[in-house]
Amino acid sequence: MSNKTITMIRKELIDAARDKRSVMAGLYYAVGAPLLMCGMFFMLIGQLTSPEDLNININNPQGAPDLVKYLSSKGITHGKNEDQVEGEKVDTKDILLIISDDYASNMAKGISAEVTLVADASNEKLQKSIRRLEKRLQQYSAEMGSLRLIARGIDPRVMQPIKLNVEDQATPDSKAGMILGIATMTMIYAVFISGMNLAIDTSAGERERNSLALLLSHPVSTSQIVISKIVAVTLFGMIGLLLTLIVSKFAYSFVPWQELGFSVSVNSRFIGMMMLIGLPVAIMAACLQLFVSFLAKSFKEAQSYLTIVLMLPMMLAMAASYDIAPETLQWLPVSGQLQALIEFIKGRELPGMQLAISSLITLAISAALAFGMQKSLKSEKIVFGL
Amino acid sequence: MIQVSNLSKRIGDVQALNDLSFSALDGQITGLLGPNGAGKTTCLRTVFGLLKPDNGFAEIDGINIAKSPVAAKQQLGLFPDPFGLYERLTPREYISYFAELNGLSRSDAKHATSSVIEKLHLADIADRQCKGFSQGQRMKTALAQAIVHQPTNIVLDEPTRGLDVMSTRVLRDILRDLKNQGHCVLFSSHVMQEVAALCDQVIVMAEGRVVAVGSPDGLCQQTGKASLEDAFIQLIGTDEGIAA
Amino acid sequence: MHHGMYSPRKMGVDPTLTLRKKVALAVVIWAAILIPSVHALPLTLSAPTSVNTTDNSCYVDGLSERMNCGSISVPEDHDRPEGKQIQIHYVVMPAIKSSGKSEALLAIAGGPGQSAIENAQGFDQMLTKVRQSHDVILIDQRGTGQSNPLQCVADGFESPLAINESDFDTRVETQKCLDELDADVSQYDSLSALRDFEAVRQHLGYQKLHLYGVSYGTRMAQLYMRDYPEHVATVTLDGVVPMQQSVLAIGDAIARAFDLVIQDCSNNTLCHNQFPELAAELAQVDTELAQAAKISTIADPTTGEATQLTMTRSKFKGSLRMALYSPSVRALIPHAIHQASQGNFQPITGLYAMSMDGAGIAMGMHASVVCAEDWPRLTPQLRASTAKNYFGREMLKTFEQSCAVWNMPAVDASFSQAIASDIPTLLLSGELDPATPPSWGEMAMEKLTNAKHFVAPYATHGVAYQSCGNNLIAELIEKGAVSDIDGECLNKDIRRNFYLNASTVEAIPSDTEQTAQSEESSLSQETALSPKKALNQ
Repeated sequence: MSNKTITMIRKELIDAARDKRSVMAGLYYAVGAPLLMCGMFFMLIGQLTSPEDLNININNPQGAPDLVKYLSSKGITHGKNEDQVEGEKVDTKDILLIISDDYASNMAKGISAEVTLVADASNEKLQKSIRRLEKRLQQYSAEMGSLRLIARGIDPRVMQPIKLNVEDQATPDSKAGMILGIATMTMIYAVFISGMNLAIDTSAGERERNSLALLLSHPVSTSQIVISKIVAVTLFGMIGLLLTLIVSKFAYSFVPWQELGFSVSVNSRFIGMMMLIGLPVAIMAACLQLFVSFLAKSFKEAQSYLTIVLMLPMMLAMAASYDIAPETLQWLPVSGQLQALIEFIKGRELPGMQLAISSLITLAISAALAFGMQKSLKSEKIVFGL
Repeated sequence: MIQVSNLSKRIGDVQALNDLSFSALDGQITGLLGPNGAGKTTCLRTVFGLLKPDNGFAEIDGINIAKSPVAAKQQLGLFPDPFGLYERLTPREYISYFAELNGLSRSDAKHATSSVIEKLHLADIADRQCKGFSQGQRMKTALAQAIVHQPTNIVLDEPTRGLDVMSTRVLRDILRDLKNQGHCVLFSSHVMQEVAALCDQVIVMAEGRVVAVGSPDGLCQQTGKASLEDAFIQLIGTDEGIAA
Repeated sequence: MHHGMYSPRKMGVDPTLTLRKKVALAVVIWAAILIPSVHALPLTLSAPTSVNTTDNSCYVDGLSERMNCGSISVPEDHDRPEGKQIQIHYVVMPAIKSSGKSEALLAIAGGPGQSAIENAQGFDQMLTKVRQSHDVILIDQRGTGQSNPLQCVADGFESPLAINESDFDTRVETQKCLDELDADVSQYDSLSALRDFEAVRQHLGYQKLHLYGVSYGTRMAQLYMRDYPEHVATVTLDGVVPMQQSVLAIGDAIARAFDLVIQDCSNNTLCHNQFPELAAELAQVDTELAQAAKISTIADPTTGEATQLTMTRSKFKGSLRMALYSPSVRALIPHAIHQASQGNFQPITGLYAMSMDGAGIAMGMHASVVCAEDWPRLTPQLRASTAKNYFGREMLKTFEQSCAVWNMPAVDASFSQAIASDIPTLLLSGELDPATPPSWGEMAMEKLTNAKHFVAPYATHGVAYQSCGNNLIAELIEKGAVSDIDGECLNKDIRRNFYLNASTVEAIPSDTEQTAQSEESSLSQETALSPKKALNQ
């Protein structure tokens, strides 16, 4: 890299470092995103691990007092008893359990006693509660079934012809894959967000402030200008990524993951891997954002363009972390790297080939964008907005 | 020396430059005088290679700007309009930055920056960020940027626009100094007095072409008018866009 | 104690949770004699299959998760370090999120003679919260599980259903077992095993341990507190065997638990109305069987084939005793007694089948511990009081013979001293416990200065498995102190109805008896259909 390029990089960085907006953009994201994720996970874990009492409507509870008592000991209660919960309104779920009139008499005869569960299974909010209720009813039924066999002199194990042994090769880390997929997505997105303001400022902003023409009047080539700007924006993106990772490392250590049955740790190996894999993405992010910003006529216009353009990597990232990606996505930028990272988190072997190809494609796209930018800086239309 | 030969440039529907030819010599101050829209800025941008002429060429010390842009630009200093300062850099950083871009080593650039700061009496503001500078301070900073690498040719685009009287005087003194040091100084202006007071040679432009060339006195004689102002109106046929 | 001390997890009736292994038939018989009440006897000799070790990572029975397994070599006789070496196997169930490597929980199984590793699933479930932040260590105590198990397999006997236990010669069978074992049985006492535990701790590198002992495991935990207090952070004793107590006094606890279940039934309107004469019926069956065993042909509980059932007093009372361990199985006891009084031993047979192979106890190790630590402590006074009830008498008879063969050196007097300690200690007792009554927990408190004892009113043996007791353990480990622990949650009424017939726990509608006949024809179609439905699903 020539001295002039280094000079320009240095100037871009000094300039950017003094730009509160550019710095804060990265900083807000680096601090905010992991904390928001943590908050979300806290809520999620709270919901999953300390299930509140489930209040449902039970028709004819006096028909099966033992069943009702069993359910209540498992936190599933008949919701109509408002008087028991003083002041607080009881949130009764829209689930109806009908105990048939002949429940007790059928039960006494040793034949199936009917219980009807009425609920809208398409209601997302109810599904968990429905499953919980079903599971408890099945447990109750299984326990009674076993005791009925014992009462008839039969070993209840005859009802379990197959004993299934499962040897799960997942590690506590790999169980966290799904969660960490989302977390990783927000991390990698840091390279886009952290460099965005700088990218706009140094391109559309530079032109808006008339310093672009001055710069071009000096004896530097357009490729030197493009390279220095890409390097500066990339560095900002990477710094943002590093910050995000460091904040995540601390923030995530406070989340009680263990209550979900796995652990999530952002260790230094992961940080290193993330930085390495994130670099091509950061370069592409810089190229993409600079390219779009150079096309825009003003700072504001660039901002609105970028907001739309950044949907693209976001969607790629989401597709990868929710694993809804078609096969081809594994070769593409962002999604390819994310999929590789998720594999890495799960403790599996890093898919080298896939990662190499997606990284190469990422860099190729970057090069094309850089070339386009370099061309555009020679265009009178772009430089003077003619 | 800056030499412009047969430049033509069409921007949109307007023929901005129309077979424009002139030269600005070393040791002289050359004024490019013309009404607004005469093509002065387009001309200067072409000299810097920022615009590509449809026809003709510009040479800096004999180097064709279109063919060897970097070498040619090395011989140029631009005082642009508007100034294009980096608001978050200090004048020292700003000046030094452009010095380095013109090929000076880091330490040479530092020295050159220090001396130009001294020369332009910028010391008191040299280490403050440019944000909030007065117009005069901005002018000095931009000018320092233009001359820090001691180019043979200094081009100024409407240098006195927006300047107060004191700053204008300072600028004039500096330009005279540069001339005396043997630099070629080319500036565009639409201010008559400024041109009359400073220039050795005046190039009068209108509608993208040279209308007349000569010293201020020469132009008066040529048109038979007593003042340059009258001569100018005579030359371009109108007084529109000209400031006294 | 015997099977009595085994952790109650095993008695679960949910078929998906029963993990017992098929028993060597002769072993069952031998055990049935050795421990009159429980016909349980464990385990074939093929123990090592339950843990597949590959580079430390392994799977244990009932858990899909990867665990860390290993073993250390220790001298069979700690006083002769150069002598015969045995392998002590352990499993570390890793913390989900480790709070640092320095502390772990050591869970100690009951028995004596149970394998901790074979009970990994139960420990895992019960200790879920603890595992979130702490590794849980399971050690197969010497003589159990995979650690040089002292199993006894006798052969040449009929099926466990057909045997009449009084024909069994304990002395002969015990001698046969001793002859077959390749071990110095005198080294399989608690104190020798304690040194193994400590060696495993050192090997694994934990600074301090939190101890959880259940049943006989509470004795090991107390010895750990006594001998290595510097390495103990907290202790939970669940179903407490105080050091002052010989477990052979368990007969009183069993009798008490029988009284409680009959009392519970008479306090319950439904149960009382259905079985108004329960106490009398129990006494009646007991008397009949004491006079003569009842021989009949039944369908084998497991194979369904015709087989002979010799219903003895031992089987009858032993089955009921084992049913007392599990709150859910306990609900069947009044019905089982009532049916037996009517001459129907089906429910008793079902219960007997449950306990036939239930406990997974290594009988040789069991004998080593009991004959060294409990038999010699039997004072004439204690012997007299123990002999007052059926189970006590049977136990005295059995151990009199087997301990004579086993010939263990007796523990010294200091063994019986109450543990004096200020280590934070949580003691849990179940009011309905048929093995270790709450009074034993009180006795263990004698010299514990930093301890709390909670009695769970509706729990049997192994409180942490049946109540919020496991949360209290997690709290103790998290806080490292007992002062803030509140046992209020143990009082939650989780009692369920008793079975009123072979099918229901709900009140039987008064018209059922009549309508059952009239509806029979219309129902027969449905009942015929439903098994098929079930099969198709």
